[in-house]
Amino acid sequence: MHIPDGFLDPVTCAATYLIALAFGVVAFRRAKPASDEAKLLVPVLAAAIFVAQMLNWPLPGGTSLHLVGGALSAILVGPWLGYFVMLLVLLVQALVFHDGGITTLGANVLNMGIVAVFTGYLVYRAFPERWRVAGAFLAGWLSLTLAGLVCGVELGLSSLAGQFLYGFSVTLPVMGGWHALLGLIEGAITAAVYAYLRARAPALVAGGRV
Amino acid sequence: MSARQLLERHRRALLFTLALAVMSPVFGVYLAELAGYHEPLDIAAEALGLREITEEINWTPLFDYTVPGLPDWLGYIVSGFIGVSAVLVLGLLLLRLLK
Repeated sequence: MHIPDGFLDPVTCAATYLIALAFGVVAFRRAKPASDEAKLLVPVLAAAIFVAQMLNWPLPGGTSLHLVGGALSAILVGPWLGYFVMLLVLLVQALVFHDGGITTLGANVLNMGIVAVFTGYLVYRAFPERWRVAGAFLAGWLSLTLAGLVCGVELGLSSLAGQFLYGFSVTLPVMGGWHALLGLIEGAITAAVYAYLRARAPALVAGGRV
Repeated sequence: MSARQLLERHRRALLFTLALAVMSPVFGVYLAELAGYHEPLDIAAEALGLREITEEINWTPLFDYTVPGLPDWLGYIVSGFIGVSAVLVLGLLLLRLLK
């Protein structure tokens, strides 16, 4: 889902940068009062998600998948610190390995650091305590599906700028449809990691409350 | 919050992360080559005729998790270690700002 340089038009690039930066300012203020325990988890979680994103699983049908981790971050450290977990991952990927473009970094932060994180958190928190594993599954699934759809909107907007009038009819079904399928695996991994940590390290799981 | 605290509190998680980085070429190089890495974004971009300009404006010698002079599988592992280090350093700087 990392959009490379060249896929988005300048206006979409600028708009998504502005949204990501503005959100970063709010997230910084809201994350400051978080517990030291939750804050200390941010670099570790970011490092683990960075490596998890390097593990590509090929799937039948000619596509492949890796964990995005937005929902998992939000569940473990809350959405405001979760934004920074994903920001760290995306910054290093783009700046050090050119995985995801520099002009499209704002869009990638918007998709994976804001949409995926907040969708994951809201869905997870909507479930009562004893249904939280199911909540983590749905959080992972919906976070990827919506992030994919928003990515489709960005590509569609850019194709409009390039006079490709039917962009949305291509980008929304492809991005939304595929990510709704791939999201099942994101949900399964999110739920599995959450269930493991809840059983083995419950204090970590409790750190996500804001 | 210091690097020492991070190591003391999350040593096992960090070791697990590094172990995953060592295993990563199985998934990121071998299986990706076997199946052909292709994600939905590529499908949409192809349909719209969008053109990636990543290689034309590249600024990093570690492009796409490779290290010049090393075979892909070893470069992938080294990239994983470099990436983890960079994330941890930036993360610790962030924690100072968030104090």
